Amino acid sequence: MDYLQKLTQQAKLNLFVSLMVTNVTVIGLFFVALKLGNFNLYIVVGILIVISIIVSLIISSLLGKFLMQPLTALWQVVFHLTPEADSVTKPDIESLTFGKDLVSNLSGHIYQLISAADKASQESSAKAKELTLNFVAQNLPLPLFVLDAEETIRFANPAAADYIGIAVKDLIGKNVYMVLDMAFASEDTFDNWLKTVKTTAATASKAWERVRMDVRDNHPTLLFDLAAYYNRANPDGHETMMLLFDHTKQYSQDDQAISFVALSVHELRTPLTLLRGYIEVFQEELSGKLDPELQSFMEKMQAQAEQLMAFVNNILNVARVDDDQLELKLEKGDWPAILNLSIENLSLRAKVRGISLELSVTDGLPVVGVDQISIQEVINNLVDNAIKYSADSKVIKISSHLTNDGLVETTVQDFGRGIPTAVLPNLFTKFYRDHHNRSQVGGTGLGLYLSKAIITAHGGNLWVRSKEGEGSTFGFTLQPYDRLSQEAKASGDNEMVRGAHGWIKNHSLYRR
Amino acid sequence: MQETNQPTRKVLCIEDEHFISELYARALSKGGYEVTVIADGSQALTEAETNAYDIILLDLMVPNLTGIEILRKLRDPARVPPIKAKILIITNLEQREDVRADIEKQADGYLVKAELTPHELVTFIDNIK
Repeated sequence: MDYLQKLTQQAKLNLFVSLMVTNVTVIGLFFVALKLGNFNLYIVVGILIVISIIVSLIISSLLGKFLMQPLTALWQVVFHLTPEADSVTKPDIESLTFGKDLVSNLSGHIYQLISAADKASQESSAKAKELTLNFVAQNLPLPLFVLDAEETIRFANPAAADYIGIAVKDLIGKNVYMVLDMAFASEDTFDNWLKTVKTTAATASKAWERVRMDVRDNHPTLLFDLAAYYNRANPDGHETMMLLFDHTKQYSQDDQAISFVALSVHELRTPLTLLRGYIEVFQEELSGKLDPELQSFMEKMQAQAEQLMAFVNNILNVARVDDDQLELKLEKGDWPAILNLSIENLSLRAKVRGISLELSVTDGLPVVGVDQISIQEVINNLVDNAIKYSADSKVIKISSHLTNDGLVETTVQDFGRGIPTAVLPNLFTKFYRDHHNRSQVGGTGLGLYLSKAIITAHGGNLWVRSKEGEGSTFGFTLQPYDRLSQEAKASGDNEMVRGAHGWIKNHSLYRR
Repeated sequence: MQETNQPTRKVLCIEDEHFISELYARALSKGGYEVTVIADGSQALTEAETNAYDIILLDLMVPNLTGIEILRKLRDPARVPPIKAKILIITNLEQREDVRADIEKQADGYLVKAELTPHELVTFIDNIK
C-alpha cells in the first residue's frame, strides 16, 4: 500500500504547489502594482482576476493531465485485454511520470487475473470436449477403430471389441490387417484405398458395401458396410478412422437367395427336374415300343417340359442380370461342337412342331471364348423364337462362319411372318413383344433381352434383320479366344470373367 | 461307360429328395455303378468316413448336417487318411457366386440339378477319372 500513500502525497503536493503558485503570483502582482504607481484599483483587481483565471486554466490543464496518467493507463490496460476493443494499444507503463508504481502493480494483478480466468475456461472446455469425445467413442453402438500412420490400432471402442470378439486391450497396438480379415466386393478394397490416399490426399473418406470378415472359428462370417475417414495432418498421429455398420443378418439372407424370383424359380425347378427325369426314363424304356401316336405324345411332353425349364431358367437369369449377379466364365470353346450339341437338344422342340433345324458351319473356325452354359441359353432363345414365329414354314437355318473382322458369327434364320420395321428397335428391351403377334404367340419377352446381355458380356454383338412376310434372321458374334485373352492381359486381367453389364475385374466376387 | 475289366465304381448319393435319388440311382445303376443312397446328413457323413467310395454326390440341403458341413468335414486337411472320393455337389439352390466359389474350391464339381437329366449326370460321371 506504500505506493498508494506515496501517490496521495504526490497528488497533495502537486495541488498544494499549483495553488501556491497561483496565489503567490496574484498577490505578488497586486503588491507590485500598488507600489509602482497610481493605478486605478478597480482596473488592477480586474486585470489580476483575468491573470489568475489564465494561470489557473494553464495549471489545471497541466495538472489534470498529469494526475489522470495512472487512470488512463489502467483504462488502457483493461481495454487492451478485452477482446472487443482491439484498437486500444498496450500502455507504456515505464514512461509514466505519475503513478507508475500503482499502474504497474495493478496492471500486473489484472493480467494475472485475466490469464487465470482464461486458463480456467480453456481447461474446462478441453475437459468437456474430452468427456464428450470419450462418451461418444465408448458408447457408440457401432464398432469404431482408429489407426495411426503405421496402420496400428490406436483405439477401438467396446462395440468393436464386442463385434469381432476380441477384448479392447488385445486390439490396441495390433496391425489392423492382422485383426480385421476383410474381403471386399471388388478390387476397390480398404487397403488399396488407404495406400492411394496416403500418397495423394490430406483428407479423404470412403464407404464400402458388403464387406465380409471371418473372425473366429464356428462363428458365421460377418457382413457389414464400412466407412473410413483419413486425415494425414492429424497432430496426435490418429490418421484413419473406421466405422462398421453390421448387416450380417440382412446380407446373409441375400446370400441364400438372390431374390424372391430366385426362390420361386427354385421351387419350380425341382418338380420340373423330376418331371424331365421321369420322362427320360420313359423315353429310354419305351422308345420304339409305342405306337407312333403315343410316341409323338411322349416327345411333345418332353419338348414342353424342356421349354418350361428353359423359360424358368430365363426368368432366373434375367433376375441375375438385373441384380448384376450374372457372371460369365469365358473359356476356350470348340464352337461347332457346342452349336451341334445345342441344336441337337433343340431338335425335339422343333420336331414336335414339324420344323426341321438345318445346321451349317464353315470349316476352320477359330476356338472361341465362351461361357458354355450361357451361350446355350442364347441359342435356345433364338431358336425357340424362330420356332414360335415360323408360322407355316417348316425349316430353320442355323449357320456359322468367320466374318471379315475375324469374329465367329452365327445366324438363326426363320421363314415365318417376320417383324415389322417399326418394332425392330425395341426388340431387345425387356418385356417387349410385338403387339401384332401377342395374341398368337406365347413368350415372355425376356429371351432377347437376356441374349443381348449374354452376348454383350462375351464381347460380341447381337443383331436382327427382318422383313415382314419373309422371316427374320438373328445373328450374334463371338470373339476368338486368343483375341479375348490378349485383351484381358492388356487390361491387367488374367482371368476372363465378365458380368452381364461389362467386365468384372476379379474372378471371385469377393477377393482380398 | 465303364469298361468291363475295371472294378465297379461305387457312388454314394447323399440326397433327401426321394424322387431325385431314385432317378439318379436308377440311371447310375444302368450305367454300371454301384449306388448307395442316404438321405440323412449325419448318417451320410459316417458312411462316407467308414466305406470307400469313388464318387460322392452331395446335395447341399440335407437334414441334420448341411451339405456344406459334410463337405468341410470330409475335406478337412487334418483328416488322416484323406477321403479319396471325388465329391460332386448337386443342388438346385442358387448361390451367390462367392459362396459357390468357396464350395467349388473344396469339391470336385458343382452341378445344378435342373441343368442336367439323370442320363447326362451319368455321362458327366463317366468322364471323371
